[in-house]
Amino acid sequence: MGNEIFVKAASTTPATAGASIRISRLEKRFGPVFAVDGVDLDIAAGEFIALLGPSGSGKTTILMSVAGFEFPTSGTIQVDSEDLTYVPSNRRNLGMVFQNYTLFPHMSILDNVAFPLKMRGLPKAERHARAEAALATVRLGGYGNRRPNELSGGQQQRVALARAIVYQPRVLLMDEPLSALDKNLREDMQLEIKRLHAELGITVIFVTHDQSEALTMADRIAVLKDGKIKQIGPARELYERPANLFTASFIGEMNFVDVTVESVGDVVSVGLPWGETWQLPATAAVDGVKAGEAAVMAVRPERLRLGAGAAGQIVNVTLSDIVYAGSAMLLIGRLPDGTEMRARIPGESQLSSLAPGDVASFTVPAAAILLYQGKR
Amino acid sequence: MKPPTDRGSLVLGAYVYAVLTFIIVPLVIVIPMSFSQSDYLAFPPTGFTLKWYAEYFDSRQWRAATWLSVQVALLTAVCASLIGTAATYAMVRGRSRFVALFQILLIGPIIVPHIALAVGLYLFFQTIGLSGTVPGFVLAHTVLTLPFVVFTMAAALGKVDANLEAAAMSCGATRFQAFRFVTLPLVLPSLASGALFAFIISFDEPVVSFFLSGIRQKTLPRRMFEDIEQNLTPVIPAIATLLIVLSIAILLGGHALRSRSKTQSSAG
Ligand SMILES: Nc1ncnc2c1ncn2[C@@H]1O[C@H](COP(=O)(O)OP(=O)(O)OP(=O)(O)O)[C@@H](O)[C@H]1O
Ligand SMILES: [Mg+2]
Repeated sequence: MGNEIFVKAASTTPATAGASIRISRLEKRFGPVFAVDGVDLDIAAGEFIALLGPSGSGKTTILMSVAGFEFPTSGTIQVDSEDLTYVPSNRRNLGMVFQNYTLFPHMSILDNVAFPLKMRGLPKAERHARAEAALATVRLGGYGNRRPNELSGGQQQRVALARAIVYQPRVLLMDEPLSALDKNLREDMQLEIKRLHAELGITVIFVTHDQSEALTMADRIAVLKDGKIKQIGPARELYERPANLFTASFIGEMNFVDVTVESVGDVVSVGLPWGETWQLPATAAVDGVKAGEAAVMAVRPERLRLGAGAAGQIVNVTLSDIVYAGSAMLLIGRLPDGTEMRARIPGESQLSSLAPGDVASFTVPAAAILLYQGKR
Repeated sequence: MKPPTDRGSLVLGAYVYAVLTFIIVPLVIVIPMSFSQSDYLAFPPTGFTLKWYAEYFDSRQWRAATWLSVQVALLTAVCASLIGTAATYAMVRGRSRFVALFQILLIGPIIVPHIALAVGLYLFFQTIGLSGTVPGFVLAHTVLTLPFVVFTMAAALGKVDANLEAAAMSCGATRFQAFRFVTLPLVLPSLASGALFAFIISFDEPVVSFFLSGIRQKTLPRRMFEDIEQNLTPVIPAIATLLIVLSIAILLGGHALRSRSKTQSSAG
């Protein structure tokens, strides 16, 4: 049934193609602070890009530069090869959704949604007809006469979404649009936004610091730190082969062990802190590790297998906590040198015999091991 | 069982009534005196007459002084609200380093004694020929009333989320349109009360007007002082009574406006 609505809506609303965006060598300084420090980002028409990063990493500043509320110190921003770097925000024709709804409290819902059309000089009747249609797109048809304070947070954010798309912009910018909503509403809205994106073909830049939100929604995710893009790619790539230590620790859960590289060739041999030497496939080395230097070995907790299996390295872990976590058991313990190690093991049948204090053997499949330069 | 008597609230109640009495007593004295038949100010009043009101309305001089004060107060209210709103907007939203200095300059007239300001303005306006003119009064009163507009507007503008204006601009509004369609409607009640403040302050401002009044151009307060010095007839309490009635009417009107806009915005 959901599919029917989808098809219907898609056929009545002509698909507006999104615009391509090119951000080149973007730099924004606030006094001594580099809020954005040399960002290059090419976004294809119709793509859904998430900007993900810790607080202060420059996500908002990048978005505001695209929106025209901040002018960069240097660099350019092009939308469909038109240079918009210093064009004022009101002449960019980009849709924008803010974190705190930002509906105009003194206007009705319909007037809120019709506001961009009013600014574009459309006659009242047409404004209202198109605003009604936009409200229907976000499933709020018939709410036009209400006031913003009569709607729930999720409904208000949907109105803000309707207002951002009512004039059929080719780019939709969103700065943590869901972070003020509670978890269930947030998931509903994630689907709603995905649906709109598919329906309208609009290019989306979506700022979030919630990684699961970024991973589920975006075609590609740009991971930011200190104003720089540390990695950009689709969710699977980011999760399965993080390009650097920062991404590896920022996205998902990861176990890290400090090692020393002994030799690099067809296989990489590393010395572990408790004296063993492991031979790893050369593909394990993500960035160029060198013999004789320190490196960090990384393994996701769900890649560990309980018990000594055939293909892989064996580690012995002294368990300290055994936590029931719904779909899996979380086992927390220490490696022989004291480094913490976590394992997520699905199904509990084989685990009932384990207790804190026990030493358990785990198999680490060779394919699950990643190796980075440096120390953790 | 009786609830325990709270001494603190008893004392507070007594205090409030004392203050109210203190405020109301002059009114209670002034209003009856305006109907007194004796030719000089006397309490208790004797008899009942409306002749002092008639004298006020018949006198060309009183009417001229009133008209001048009304003109000046209206123009002052307009100028102070325009300048005050623009200045406050710049202070609240601006990123300038000089905001603090700017603030002090705007609020200065509250701290500087009016007599000092009056003497300065008197000397200055004499040399440039603004003394005793409507523009002269309006200029002086605008300076005096600006702080009140700035205070009310700073509170109101501070409450309007700057992101609302950003949202309006992302919808295609210019900065001015964002102010006109979003910010202004939200601060309109405060703007109205700021303007009202300016009007009332200008209307019964005595000190600066005393210095700036010419021989023919006298504001109502200045004219009243003259009359007190020379005649001291009950026309003064008659005017005072009219002013009291007018102020109460304005206050009630403003209150009605505000409560109407409140119910409108909460239940649309
Ligand atoms: N107007 C400003 N003046 C001075 N510094 C600023 C300004 N705006 C941002 N910064 C600084 O620039 C850096 C990046 O800020 P930005 O708001 O882009 O981060 P963010 O990734 O959006 O963070 P958050 O997740 O907390 O929203 C921060 O160090 C911040 O302190
Ligand atoms: Mg931010």
